[in-house]
Amino acid sequence: MFFRMIEKERLPDLIRGLSTEFEVVGPVAKGDKFVFAPIDDPADMRLDYDTTILPPKKWFFPPEETMMRFRVADNEVVDDEVYAPPRVLFGLHPCDINSLQLMDNVFFGAYIDPYYRARRENTLIVGLSCVPSETCFCNAWGTDEAHWGFDIFLSDVGDEYFASIRSVSGAELVDRHVKTREITDNDTRRFQERTAAFKAAFENHVDTSQLPLLIDAKFESPIWDQLGEKCLACGACSMVCPTCYCYDVHDELEPDQTMGRRVRTWDSCQFKDFAAVAHGQNFRDSRASRIKYRYYHKQWGYLSKFERVLCVGCGRCSRACKAGINPVKVIEALQTGVVS
Amino acid sequence: MGGVPRSTIAPGDRTSAGVNPYRPWPARITSIIDLTPQEKLFELRLIDEGARAAFDFDSGQFVELSIFGVGEAPISISSAPSKQGFIELCVRNAGDVTGALHRKQCGDVVGLRGPFGRGFPFEEMKGHDVLLVAGGLGIAPLKSLINHIHDDRHDFGNVTILYGARSPAEILFRYQFDGWKHRDDFDLILTVDHPDDTWEGDVGLVTRLFDKIEVDPANAFGAICGPPVMYKYVIAEMRKKDMDVDRIYVSFERRMKCGVGKCGHCGVGHQYTCIDGPVFNYWEAMNLQEAI
Repeated sequence: MFFRMIEKERLPDLIRGLSTEFEVVGPVAKGDKFVFAPIDDPADMRLDYDTTILPPKKWFFPPEETMMRFRVADNEVVDDEVYAPPRVLFGLHPCDINSLQLMDNVFFGAYIDPYYRARRENTLIVGLSCVPSETCFCNAWGTDEAHWGFDIFLSDVGDEYFASIRSVSGAELVDRHVKTREITDNDTRRFQERTAAFKAAFENHVDTSQLPLLIDAKFESPIWDQLGEKCLACGACSMVCPTCYCYDVHDELEPDQTMGRRVRTWDSCQFKDFAAVAHGQNFRDSRASRIKYRYYHKQWGYLSKFERVLCVGCGRCSRACKAGINPVKVIEALQTGVVS
Repeated sequence: MGGVPRSTIAPGDRTSAGVNPYRPWPARITSIIDLTPQEKLFELRLIDEGARAAFDFDSGQFVELSIFGVGEAPISISSAPSKQGFIELCVRNAGDVTGALHRKQCGDVVGLRGPFGRGFPFEEMKGHDVLLVAGGLGIAPLKSLINHIHDDRHDFGNVTILYGARSPAEILFRYQFDGWKHRDDFDLILTVDHPDDTWEGDVGLVTRLFDKIEVDPANAFGAICGPPVMYKYVIAEMRKKDMDVDRIYVSFERRMKCGVGKCGHCGVGHQYTCIDGPVFNYWEAMNLQEAI
């Protein structure tokens, strides 16, 4: 990795430069919240955003996408091509950069998901340092730092960005579009000071001690029944989660019934029929069993395969939950046995 | 720099997909046998010769059966891997996709993806006794193992098959099992919950048949498939016979929607049925929350 200093007032040069080669997607205001959306004018970019309503996963794994088009008569696939325009996701916080790596483990691997892959390979990532909000707990998992998974990462050190450059593309784009200077020892010190201030700003300090083991040992704990009583099974937590990847697949026929498309949509393990099978058996009929499964999979199921927790502490689920279920409190309840 | 950005994503392999694992291969239905009023046995042949030659599976694995316009369903393979060029699927008319399949005719084309998952450890079982216990439609995946053992019979010790069905009319593959009644190389015991006037076999749950069999616990493998409620009772009988926990194999049915470990629907405990199973040994299954 190598490093450059970029003056803040020159950043629009980089964004405008990227726009000549890519679709640039970044954080913009929507009401009193923020969303990732295509940017026309660098001035629209809200680099002071706390978090976005939806995570960046939708740019790789859309809420709804056509997997293939088919002809009914001979049960043939007509096409299964993926639309993946060259794109830059600008301003991703470390939690979201980490979330994409967790998604990669699922969508790559023994069976490669060609739709996710095409978009992932055609998308550059520009990361951005952040300030912890009251719902953030990325410090619990070490996802408050991103060490790879970006092309450029911009750390705010006052009037300049301390830019970490990871990829050939990132280096070329910086060289081509924005004036930079070499870093000095003093810049590295400013970067360290910024990091220390960031770490000190967290309000949440989650006790993750022995969590994968505890969630197994306390599988029959009454806390899950209490959380099941609160949970509305709306699935909002899954939709806003940057690491929830479950999906449903269904076929849609065109009006004349001769052609159609196979579509996948975001799904949630909180929905009642998620684990139902054909003969009427439902393996997770109760809300308590479903909310427990969500945590069980994130804290142990995924970890057992990939050695990382399937959570980046972004806090979106606690913001989205209408029942006030907050992962920081759920983990606390697991540790103490008391739901607060 | 070219049109395609080069991005550093993560250390690790990013190999070419080559094929789309979600795209079904067209397969022709070459035979349909009515087994019961609810179940039919379909013989399917992949139309693409290369795909047909490359289709290699283990007993206990499943395929995703695809009927465009209706959807996909996971179905375990009933034929033996020793028979190449076609597969057999024993399918109950229980949902949209299986219902649509039941309306298909011989010669019609459907889609297949797979084979998926982990099957029974056939090679490990060689040289040992095997006790196979099936309930209802659970005979479908075990039929593949039974026939595979049959085709390599000299490699195995005693082979015992216990199969329970609700009524004589609901016994699947009865034409084969009736023919096996007098064989001395397979101990086959059928039982039904509700006998009719013609039934001369056993009556009652499959677990009652354990009084009638001898098991050498030092040498025996178990294989179980049936309705979810059946497992713990059959496993208890096998444990009473001192069979090892890691030599008892169970096959689970869950909602394997994608088959490739991504859609999440078939989660069982900390695993996915589609890629980690559907066959687990009992030690593994004991460690899967809510599995049994």
